[in-house]
Amino acid sequence: MQEIRRKYVVPGDRIIEGNFRPLFNVIKTGNSIIATRIGIAEAGREGVKVIPLSGIYIPRVNDIVIGKIMDHSSLSWEVDINSCFSAHLPAQDVFGRDFSPARDDMGRELAIGDLITARIIAFDRTRDPMISIQDKDLGKVPRGEFVKISATRVPRLIGKRGSMIQMIEQATHSRVLIGQNGIIVVTGRNSEGIKLAVRAIRMVEEEAHTANLTQRVKTLLSISDSSSAETFQPQPQNVPKNEESQSTIQEVEEELEEEAEKGDKAE
Amino acid sequence: MSSSKRSTIIVEHLRKQQMWDSISKGKRLDGRNLDEIRPIEIEVGLIRKANGSARVKLGNSEVVAGVKVETGEPFEGLENKGALILSAEVLPTASPYIEPGPPDEETVELARVVDRGVRESEMLDLTKLVLIPGEIVYVIFVDCSVVNADGNLFDATSYAAVSALMNSKLPVFEIRDRKVVDTGEKQNPPLTTLPVSITAVRIGESVIQDPTAEEEACMDARITITTNSDQNFAAVQKGSTGTFTVEQLKKAAASARIKGEEIRAILRELTKTGK
Amino acid sequence: MTQTRSLIDENGKRTDGRTGDQLREIKITVGVIKNADGSAFIEFGMNKIVAAVYGPREVHPKHMALPDRCVLRCRYHMTPFSTDTRKNPAPSRREVEISKVMREALEPTLMLEDYPRAAIDVFVEVLQADGGSRCAGITAASVALADAGINMRDIVSACAAGKVDDRIVIDINDTEDKEGDADMPVAYMPHLEQVTLLQLDGILNEEQFNQCLDEAVKGCKIVYEVQRKALMQKYFGNETELKEEQ
Repeated sequence: MQEIRRKYVVPGDRIIEGNFRPLFNVIKTGNSIIATRIGIAEAGREGVKVIPLSGIYIPRVNDIVIGKIMDHSSLSWEVDINSCFSAHLPAQDVFGRDFSPARDDMGRELAIGDLITARIIAFDRTRDPMISIQDKDLGKVPRGEFVKISATRVPRLIGKRGSMIQMIEQATHSRVLIGQNGIIVVTGRNSEGIKLAVRAIRMVEEEAHTANLTQRVKTLLSISDSSSAETFQPQPQNVPKNEESQSTIQEVEEELEEEAEKGDKAE
Repeated sequence: MSSSKRSTIIVEHLRKQQMWDSISKGKRLDGRNLDEIRPIEIEVGLIRKANGSARVKLGNSEVVAGVKVETGEPFEGLENKGALILSAEVLPTASPYIEPGPPDEETVELARVVDRGVRESEMLDLTKLVLIPGEIVYVIFVDCSVVNADGNLFDATSYAAVSALMNSKLPVFEIRDRKVVDTGEKQNPPLTTLPVSITAVRIGESVIQDPTAEEEACMDARITITTNSDQNFAAVQKGSTGTFTVEQLKKAAASARIKGEEIRAILRELTKTGK
Repeated sequence: MTQTRSLIDENGKRTDGRTGDQLREIKITVGVIKNADGSAFIEFGMNKIVAAVYGPREVHPKHMALPDRCVLRCRYHMTPFSTDTRKNPAPSRREVEISKVMREALEPTLMLEDYPRAAIDVFVEVLQADGGSRCAGITAASVALADAGINMRDIVSACAAGKVDDRIVIDINDTEDKEGDADMPVAYMPHLEQVTLLQLDGILNEEQFNQCLDEAVKGCKIVYEVQRKALMQKYFGNETELKEEQ
C-alpha cells in the first residue's frame, strides 16, 4: 500500500486506486479516489483527503467564529460569518428567556457592523446556522485590528497544538483572536507589534502550503532558532472538539511541520 | 424613482474606528496620504476589433473601455457636429453586490458624469467629424465596462474612456453617390484637450482623494471634479447624502486642478500621445 | 452556411496560417478579479474573455433558493466593443441561449448538493470575440469555479471543431465560423470522459460528424492541459514538480 504525501491536485485528478476510505473533498468512483478541489491530497491509514487551498468557510457545530452583525428582526440578529450561510443569533441568547422586544433594545445591545465572537450551536442541511455568545470569552469584540484570511488557512495559522500562533503572539506581544471562519482580530499594547503580527499572519496565509514556512515566519519575527521554550497556553477557542475535518487537518499540519523541520535540519 | 438605500457594504465597527483614527492622523488604512492616488496601470490597444481601447487599473478598480465608430444622424440641434455617445456599465464580475440587469441609478450617474467630463471639455473636436451637415456624421461610441470595483469608479472609468480615445484610430469616411464609403484610410481623432477627473470624499472633517470601496462605504459626501488641459473646470458632480462646506469645496477644486495636472502627465506617459 | 471562397490553401494552411489539426494559442491567468471568489482570464486566439465566480453565497430573493441543493446561475455577455460592429449592451437572444448551454455544460461537474439553499453565480464577459467564444468562456468559467474552491467531479474543457473547404478542422476561427460549412462546439470532462455541451451549426454527413466530434474532443484535451497548468501555477507556483513524492 503506497502512502502519498503532499500530492498537489486539481479537481478531477485521480489520487489513488484501491480500497481506500474517502474522507473529505474527494469522491470514490469505481476503484479510484478523485480530488474534488484544488489542494494537497494525502492518503493514509484512515483514508484519503484533500486539504483545500481555496473555498469559503462551511460552518461546523462547535466552531468558534467571528461574525459581523448585518441586520436584526424582532427575534434575532442576522450575522455574517463569512460563509454562504448567514447565521442567526437569537435575542433570547443575549437577553434571556423573558426577552421582550418592547422592553429590550436589540439595536443598542448589538449594532449593525459590530463584530462578535460566537460559537456555532446548530447547523444542518435544512436550516441556517444558529450561534450563541453565552460562554465566557464570547460576545462583542471591543477593540483590535481586523484581518480577514481564507478559512482554509486557519489550521496552518494555528499550527501544531497552537505553536504557530503562539509564536507570533509571543514575538509581537499581541493577542490574536482567530475565528474558524477566517476572521481574525489582533490586539496588543504596541502598534508596531500589532503591525508585525498582521504581516506574519498574511505570510502564513499566502504561503500556507509551502515547506520551511515556520522558518520564514521566525525570520520575519526576528526570532533566533535557539529560542524554544513554548509555554503551552490552553486556547479553547482555537481547538474545537469535533470529529470532522478539523482534527484531521491538525494531524496533517503536524506532519507537514515535521517534514518542514526535517527539511531544515537536513540543510 | 430613486429610494434611500442601506449601504451595500457594511463596514465592521472596528475597521471604521481604525479608519477614523488613522485619517485624523493624516494616513489612510492602506498607508496612503489623504491626497494620494493609488497606482495607475494602463494598457492600450488590447481590443483589436475596437477603433481604440484601454484597460485601466486604479488600485484594484479596473475598467476596460472600447471605441467604435459608425456613421449616422447627428443629434437634434447639433447638425454641424459629430455624435459622441459614452456609456458605462458595471459588469457583474466587478463585485459580489452587482446583479445583472438594466443599469441602476448609480450606474446611470456614473455613465453621465464620465460622459459630461469628456463632452463638456470638448476633448474631441466634433465639428471635424461631419460628412453631410444635418444628415450624416461620424458617431463615436465609447463603451466602458467596469471589471472589478474597488472604489472611485468615476475616475477609473474616466481615465479608461479618455485613454481609449487617445489610443484610437478613426476610419476615414467619404460620401460617394450619396452613400457613405469607408476609404480604408485611418485618421487620428481630432483631440483638443485631455480632461482629467479627480474624485474625493469627505470622512468626518477630512477630505481624501481616490477613495477605495471601503472608504466610500464610510463617506459622508463625494465630489468629482474634471479639469481640462488648461486647468479649467469642465464638469463637477457632488454625490451621496452628506454635505460639504463652501470652504471644503473650494479646497477640493484647487486640489483637483493640481492633482489633475499630475494625472494628465501620467495618462500621457502611459498612453504615449500628446495633448 | 455554404462557402463562397476557399479558406484552406494548397499547402493546407488556413486563413490564419494553421494546419487543420492545430489549435490557436491559449493563455489562461487565474485569480484576476480581486473581488470574485474565483476568476480566470483567457486568451484563445483573439478571444479575450474574463470569467468570475461568486459563491457559494446566499440566494436573493430567498424564494429562489432550492432546499436540497445549490442554484447555479450563469451569464454569458459580450461587451459593446467586442465585435466588428458595435454590439448593443442589452442581452441578445444569442447571449440568452449561450448562457443556458453554458450553465448546462458546467452544472454536471459541480457537486451542488453540498451547498443547499445557496447560489453560485458565474459571469462570463467577452471583451473581444473571435470565433469559439462560448468554448473559451466555458473553459475560463471552469477554471474560475475551481479557483473558487467549489467541489466538482472534474474540470470542463471546451473546444470547437468544424468543416471548412469540405475538411474537418479543429478550433475554427472567426472567418471560418462566418464563412465555413459547419461549426461544432463541444465541452468535455477530461477524466470522466463525458461530453457536457454539443451543438452543431451546418451540414455534416455521418462520417464527418463523427470525425468532427473526435477532433473537438482532442482539442478539449489539449485545452485541459492549459487549464491544469494555469491552476497549478497559481496555487503551487514552481513547487509543482518538486513536491510530488510517492
